[in-house]
Amino acid sequence: MSNGENGSKSVLVVGGGIAGMQASLDLANMGFKVYLVEKSPSIGGRMAQLDKTFPTNDCAMCILAPKMIESNSHANIELLTYSEVEKVSGGIGKFKVKVKKKASFIDWSKCTGCNECAKVCPVELNSEFNENMGKRKAIYIPFPQAIPNKYTIDKRGYPPCRFACPAGVNAQGYVALISQGKFKEALEVVRRTMPFAGVLGRVCTHPCELDCERGKFDESISIRALKRFVADYEMKAGREKLKPIKKTKKEKVAVVGSGPAGLACAYDLIKEGYAVTVFEALAEAGGLLRYGIPEYRLPKDVVDNDISYIQELGVEIKTNSPVKDFGEVFNQGYSAIFVGTGAQASQKMGIPGEESKGVIHALDFLRMVNSGVEMKLGSGVAVIGGGNAAIDAARASLRLGAKEVTVVYRRSQAEMPAIKTEIEEAEQEGIKFHFLAAPVKILSKNGQLSALECIKMELGEPDASGRRRPVPVKGSEFTMDVDNSIIAIGQSVDKAMLPKDIGYTGWGTLEVDPITLQTNLDGVFAGGDVVSGPADVVVAVAAGKEAAISIDRYLRGVSLTEERKITPKKVENVSKEGVQPAARSAMPMLKTGERKGSFAEVEQGFDEKTAIEEAKRCLNCGVCSDCRECEKVCEAKAIDYEMEDKYLELSVGAIIVASGLGLYDISSLTEYGYGKIKNVITAIEFERLTAASGPTMGTLKRPSDGKIPENIAFIQCVGSRDFRHKSYCSSVCCMHSTKEAMLAYEHHPGTKSTIFYMDMRAVGKRFQEYITRAKKEYNVTYIRGRPGRIEVNPENDNPVIWYEETTSGEVKSFEAELVVLAQAMVPQITQDLAKILGIELDENGFVKIPEKMVQPLDTTKPGIFACGYVHSPRDIPDSVTQASGAAGRAAEAISGGN
Amino acid sequence: MAKEEKDLSHPRIGVFVCHCGINIGAYVDVPDVVEYAKQLPNVVHAEHNLFTCSEEGISAIKRGIKEYNLNRVIVSSCTPRTHEPLFRAACEEAGLNKYLFEFVNIRDQCSWVHMQEPEKATEKAKDLIRMGVAKARLLEPLEEIEMQVTPSALVIGGGIVGMEAALNLAGQGFDVDIVEKEPELGGNLRNVHKLFPVNQEAIKLIKPLVEQIKSNPRIKTHLSARVKQVTGFIGNFDITVDEKGKENELSVGTIIVAVGAQPLKPTGQYGYGKLANVLTQLELEERMKKGESLGQNVVMINCVGARVPERTYCSRICCTTAIKNASLIKESNPKAKVWILHRDLMTYGADFENYYRKAMELGVRFVRYSLEKPPEVVGDKKVEKIKVYHELWRKEIELPCDMLVLTTPLIPGEDNKDISKMLKVSLDEFGFFLEAHLKLRPVEFAMDGIYICGSARWPTDVTEGISQAYAVASKAAGPLRTGYVKAEAINAFVNEDQCSGCGVCEVLCPFKAIEMQPKGDKRVSHVNEAVCKGCGTCGAACPSGAISMHHFTDEQILAQVEALFS
Repeated sequence: MSNGENGSKSVLVVGGGIAGMQASLDLANMGFKVYLVEKSPSIGGRMAQLDKTFPTNDCAMCILAPKMIESNSHANIELLTYSEVEKVSGGIGKFKVKVKKKASFIDWSKCTGCNECAKVCPVELNSEFNENMGKRKAIYIPFPQAIPNKYTIDKRGYPPCRFACPAGVNAQGYVALISQGKFKEALEVVRRTMPFAGVLGRVCTHPCELDCERGKFDESISIRALKRFVADYEMKAGREKLKPIKKTKKEKVAVVGSGPAGLACAYDLIKEGYAVTVFEALAEAGGLLRYGIPEYRLPKDVVDNDISYIQELGVEIKTNSPVKDFGEVFNQGYSAIFVGTGAQASQKMGIPGEESKGVIHALDFLRMVNSGVEMKLGSGVAVIGGGNAAIDAARASLRLGAKEVTVVYRRSQAEMPAIKTEIEEAEQEGIKFHFLAAPVKILSKNGQLSALECIKMELGEPDASGRRRPVPVKGSEFTMDVDNSIIAIGQSVDKAMLPKDIGYTGWGTLEVDPITLQTNLDGVFAGGDVVSGPADVVVAVAAGKEAAISIDRYLRGVSLTEERKITPKKVENVSKEGVQPAARSAMPMLKTGERKGSFAEVEQGFDEKTAIEEAKRCLNCGVCSDCRECEKVCEAKAIDYEMEDKYLELSVGAIIVASGLGLYDISSLTEYGYGKIKNVITAIEFERLTAASGPTMGTLKRPSDGKIPENIAFIQCVGSRDFRHKSYCSSVCCMHSTKEAMLAYEHHPGTKSTIFYMDMRAVGKRFQEYITRAKKEYNVTYIRGRPGRIEVNPENDNPVIWYEETTSGEVKSFEAELVVLAQAMVPQITQDLAKILGIELDENGFVKIPEKMVQPLDTTKPGIFACGYVHSPRDIPDSVTQASGAAGRAAEAISGGN
Repeated sequence: MAKEEKDLSHPRIGVFVCHCGINIGAYVDVPDVVEYAKQLPNVVHAEHNLFTCSEEGISAIKRGIKEYNLNRVIVSSCTPRTHEPLFRAACEEAGLNKYLFEFVNIRDQCSWVHMQEPEKATEKAKDLIRMGVAKARLLEPLEEIEMQVTPSALVIGGGIVGMEAALNLAGQGFDVDIVEKEPELGGNLRNVHKLFPVNQEAIKLIKPLVEQIKSNPRIKTHLSARVKQVTGFIGNFDITVDEKGKENELSVGTIIVAVGAQPLKPTGQYGYGKLANVLTQLELEERMKKGESLGQNVVMINCVGARVPERTYCSRICCTTAIKNASLIKESNPKAKVWILHRDLMTYGADFENYYRKAMELGVRFVRYSLEKPPEVVGDKKVEKIKVYHELWRKEIELPCDMLVLTTPLIPGEDNKDISKMLKVSLDEFGFFLEAHLKLRPVEFAMDGIYICGSARWPTDVTEGISQAYAVASKAAGPLRTGYVKAEAINAFVNEDQCSGCGVCEVLCPFKAIEMQPKGDKRVSHVNEAVCKGCGTCGAACPSGAISMHHFTDEQILAQVEALFS
């Protein structure tokens, strides 16, 4: 958008507080076009946060709201809220301004402000408007009278959990919904990305939990268990049979292999509207999920439920249907093929005696166990290897009746690739571990295994995987007597199962393009273990999803690579302020005594209460959880998750900077204990506590116990007139403390207030009289003295102020029920913004005014004017006056005056 | 506008009751009031809103007008003073004449005053709404008159603030007349030595401005001149100026009052007027300008005649003035001893606080005294010593004194009363000019088209004064730029048949909006609608009952009264 030739008759106003609004209104009333840029979603600024204003005690919102509405409805003012100035070029009379309109993810032309979205939003966070004392939703308007009355979604980026997930499953989304008891909806969120809620809720290696921000505070969220919970919830409650997805595409896709990669690929493609057939060589679908993982870890009915969900959507699964010839598949009318056949061949150890009876390879062993083949094991079993298959085999052996099961691993425990909790479980079940040992020979009697001859190892230099390489210790051979040995040292791709013309890497896995997953054969894509070698289920799912994207692009005839990998922005610096420590919920487990001889599931899952409690621990790092509940209830169809920042190019003749005030961080004034002592609050917090629209609906309750304080102390110059902090006087605190003392009395007659001050700077009209009234009518006492420190009376949480009364010279203490600090105020403008505007700031960060006596509102750059608190410390009437003044200067400047 | 062709004969009234968060909602049972309103005759729709003034509330009104085909709207919330324009605009945007809107104030009149008795507050709210409905039935659409604006301005006062305002307006392309009572421009600053906080010579600031004014073809200066008479209204003021005994007539669209203030002469205090070495700060500055010797020991006393029971206010600029002069003395004569005896020290903001600190570094001594124990002057013909109870040392000290300087406040100008009467604007309790709203309309008068700036409103330093000058210039330029203003449609109208021609109305009208004019064989009252503010004085006074007020007709008011007692 550009405003073309009218630039010289236009003015940019930066900041939508009272000063910015007033400047805009004056200019608009003079007939100029005004662009009012405000970085937050609403205009109103600091004044909107105030309860009353001195010295008239007018309700701040009551006098502000008409200005806000006028600013919004004035024909000459274009409000650009949730926007920031990005670039300014040119000069007086002909500035070019680039403004970024931040994505609100809501089409404001459609939003009616009905609030239905906020009602269903599961993410609650501290309300900035209420100074973190109240809550707001991730989809919000900052306060009820906000202008424009349009909602904004606070999206900060991908939460670390989702970012860490290879498949991009939206963990924050479903966790947030679980926290609200919306289990069905939570499951929907999981299935928006992939179909294996029940499976991955059990066997996922959960990289999400490793990166969970909560883990940096106390313990990470039990994300996997929560996913499992919603899957179990559905299984318990039952699910209505789904309607198949309508096929909107004419092409058919064949998927070879029904493991996690193949099914994930099929799932995404059917959702895109393709007909999908899965060819499975074995009798039942599921691949490794069904045949590789024992039931005590992943019950078959869970696998069945996840797979039937995929089938109900319309994916056809043909079992007992090995595919050896892709040409035949294409001839059957399939336009693309995904190969997800896994890595099913067990690696041999290549040592003497490996063919002896009693020696079995882990995958074969597990396949038999999982197929229900009756297995008999001897009393002593040695499992060779340190991966998940090894632990699965060991724990399954124990359940099949083995007396003593030993895992023999050539490195130490630290290097074991198996899931840590699985190892711990195995240990608890009585499985022994022999680390730093490797078999060199299998000894047999009559072809039947009798013992292993092993050698001790030691750890050398790290190898390519970063783990330290095991090195045999010469002469350290020893033997172990065993009845069975299960070899679990690795899996590889079974080339015999695949067509001959497909290409391989040197590692024996399929060769594919790393981004598109395309094989050497046209229309044939591959992913999962068959490409990566043995890996986690979630990695296979991710590959299946990626292949689905490629296949869709391939079939639509668009580039497979263009604009393909858009790395989402990860949220950094998640605030943990105010988070109360809470331990991670423990997973209820089957008693170890009940595990032998039974394949009953070991982890028993959370109950509803635990799930909700656990979910509530989530920090909601991304703020918006992307659960998309709001979209469901928005009748105006205003929600647009794909919205992007927009950039506007404006031509203006002059610029007015009115970016207002910020609050000085007083946590470094440790003597006053702000943030540590509960009943020490700041003046702005006090305003929110007495304001009708505040978190307590206008009841002044003190933080420690909600009691209405009857004895309040106010401390002036907290960070102001103080060389360690801000050497200047903030100008408004004497009066606002007096006002707040009056408000306390008005809310609760009889309340006693004491104001500790250095000088009572009451220089405005009726200010002295206001103070007199406070003393006479509102039970306010003024004590001259700067308190040195605040302690706490442990009996009642009352802050105790220690101070020297300057008029008597005595050091005294004063116990109050609530202490309110007159926090120093600072100009709200960053060096970056100043640089963008091309103006200078002074040593305190206020806008530098080079010729104060001649042109008190002119900045260092001609055509740019400043007003309000960013210009210098001042109260509302002075800011309003300056604002009108800046408007007058701007009008003069672009009318041809200087 | 076709939309205005609404059928008004059958009133269809919508009532919107506001919770105002808890301001009303916590005391008045708003849903109950809504249910009550629904039963009232001609009310076809009633609803409640959390904040009717929010954008959501405004759209509720507009929606209501469309959905229920409302032709009268009542908002029952706060006060018309702040919110009537807003709700009227909402009606207008929905195609309803804005005078078909009626305001019922249940916040100030119910929830605020009856906080302790919520049930009664609720009943009273119902009463007020019933009255509002009774009136709304009889409301009629009114049209505002659009009037041309004379594109020029008058600035009363040629001090720095008046000059800056004039230059800004001229810079914007408007003709300006400055009326200054003194024979030259510059005001109080002509007497000031240097300016805080930069210690620049005041005359160096004034001179170039006077030159600019003189050379600016758009600005006409009237020196030794006074405004004698003002008639008319925003957009069309007729001004009579007495310039050195000669009367001139001016026509302007807007008026800026920049008459400044004057320093208090503290006669009788601390020996002022009696002892030779007692001066005011301004008198000190005259001596400093001339380079006269000031003695080795200078004592200044702040808040002389300010922040005392008989003059309660703080005059804002005097602490910094004292610091300025003390610093200048120390700078020119580092061996001199300068004490400032003060109460609270009003160096607000960044520059003044810094200025205060620098003065301490220069060696200016600050002694805090209290109103209860003021300093005492020792000496017969001249001040020899000052005795003062040092509040922080908690003992009485004696200071040698070659010169005693009294820091006195600015007080309202002597002409303020006359000017206020002439312009029909108000003065505050101190005698300064009274702004329209202390917080948000600090440079406007309640009277449209007239603006106030500088120390005439409240003691003001130079930089603040210049900012205010720009501010009034921007306000005054508004109507000049748009070229027209709208007059209030709520005004008086005369039933000429009933008028007896007594002329009481003409005498009483505070806005000079009524003139007796011949009609046939009698004289009848004639209202200038552009000037009439609708105050109702004439209507109340008319012995023949010939004058009514639009929007407040006898019929409407009686209907309300009847509704109250029904």
